[in-house]
Amino acid sequence: MPLAYPYRLSTGSYFLRLPMTLPTDPNAFDYDAALRSCALGDRQALKSIYVQDSRRLLGIALRIVRQHQLAEDVVHDAFVNIWNKAASFDASRGAGRGWIYSVVRHQALNLVRQREHDVYVDADEVETIQQQNGEVVGDPFELNASLGRLRDCLAHLDNAKRNSILFAYVDGCTHSEIAQRLNAPLGSVKAWVKRGLAALQECMG
Amino acid sequence: MNESFDDVHQLAGAYVIGTLTLTERQAVARRISLEPVLRSAVEDWEERLLPLASLVEEQDPSAQLWPRIAHDLRARPALMPGGWRAWLNDLRFWRTLAASGFSAAAVLAALLAIRPPAVGPAFMVVLVDPQARTPGWVVQASLDRNLTLTPLSAVDVPSQKALQFWTKAEGWSGPISLGLVKPGQSLKLALDKLPPLQPNQLFEITLEPATGSLTGRPSGPVLYIGKAVKII
Repeated sequence: MPLAYPYRLSTGSYFLRLPMTLPTDPNAFDYDAALRSCALGDRQALKSIYVQDSRRLLGIALRIVRQHQLAEDVVHDAFVNIWNKAASFDASRGAGRGWIYSVVRHQALNLVRQREHDVYVDADEVETIQQQNGEVVGDPFELNASLGRLRDCLAHLDNAKRNSILFAYVDGCTHSEIAQRLNAPLGSVKAWVKRGLAALQECMG
Repeated sequence: MNESFDDVHQLAGAYVIGTLTLTERQAVARRISLEPVLRSAVEDWEERLLPLASLVEEQDPSAQLWPRIAHDLRARPALMPGGWRAWLNDLRFWRTLAASGFSAAAVLAALLAIRPPAVGPAFMVVLVDPQARTPGWVVQASLDRNLTLTPLSAVDVPSQKALQFWTKAEGWSGPISLGLVKPGQSLKLALDKLPPLQPNQLFEITLEPATGSLTGRPSGPVLYIGKAVKII
């Protein structure tokens, strides 16, 4: 039954998929040590990060930029950035793995926001697309146990808030795109995102 | 700086999940390097949401991707692991000095006397409590203009107050805020938006309202102050 995810991305050819793979154990790899070695000029250390995480990082970039070649460009730029900024990474402020992932996500988000900025889709057009798209969206994200506390906190949100935040984070959707996917007014989506973030912060501390 | 605590966390959350517009994103990215409170809120959100990475299906990169990356890496002069930089970073050294009542001048004189072989110019500032004349913080700025502020001792900050970090070089019309500082915590900043550091550039920490000075200029008492000294 395709009812679980009855929508398509606007690019037309790429269907949202529901990955069920568990993450590889990030504890087995010393990201902080690899970043310190990068800061000292050790290219093998950067390569080791690439071998460890490039497949997942490319997956993350692809969900946001939605084209394979663009996603590879994002990962390329992100790794060059990681190399250049490795010395500024401060392990006392957070784990290396999170830092690496955030570099890739921001690279991807900057790219799509730049493109949207260049090709502006006006609000009327989004409104029209919304009216044509009468389907009710079910629950497009399957939250697995590996999410830990985040899963519980997301589960406490109602569907609208949860899906708004997940469409933004995982798929790099703007407010307008979320409104389109959830077939909801833009103002409601903005409020869901805002209240969803507040509730998540409260729940996770 | 009239944002409330909640505003900062909302903004950080929206930045991390990606719902800000391009202009808003760029503004936050600029502020992160200068505002520790905002940066820390962003880091909190990154960490909270990181587990979502596991929802995404892995993709195989093309065989050309790694060679492309490797080709575009700039060579980096290898820093000496250990050596004088590590020594400069050794907090115990600084704390011992502070505890033994050395003046900032003595600290700098000692540093300059035993400076190691040239690795390139850098700056160091010892921020001194102007009343007690004891060193409270050390600022180190590297050639690539990354700046580290390291506390030498704990500071008691009254409630509803915050420490704000400023710098001013000769010829500037006034000090520029480098953001809020948490007592007893070190801070790293990228100064790439500022002109290059100059010898004698002033650094100071003032006591300000909890959200920072409301005027954009230092408005409270100077708790620590010092001038940049070029080392090497």
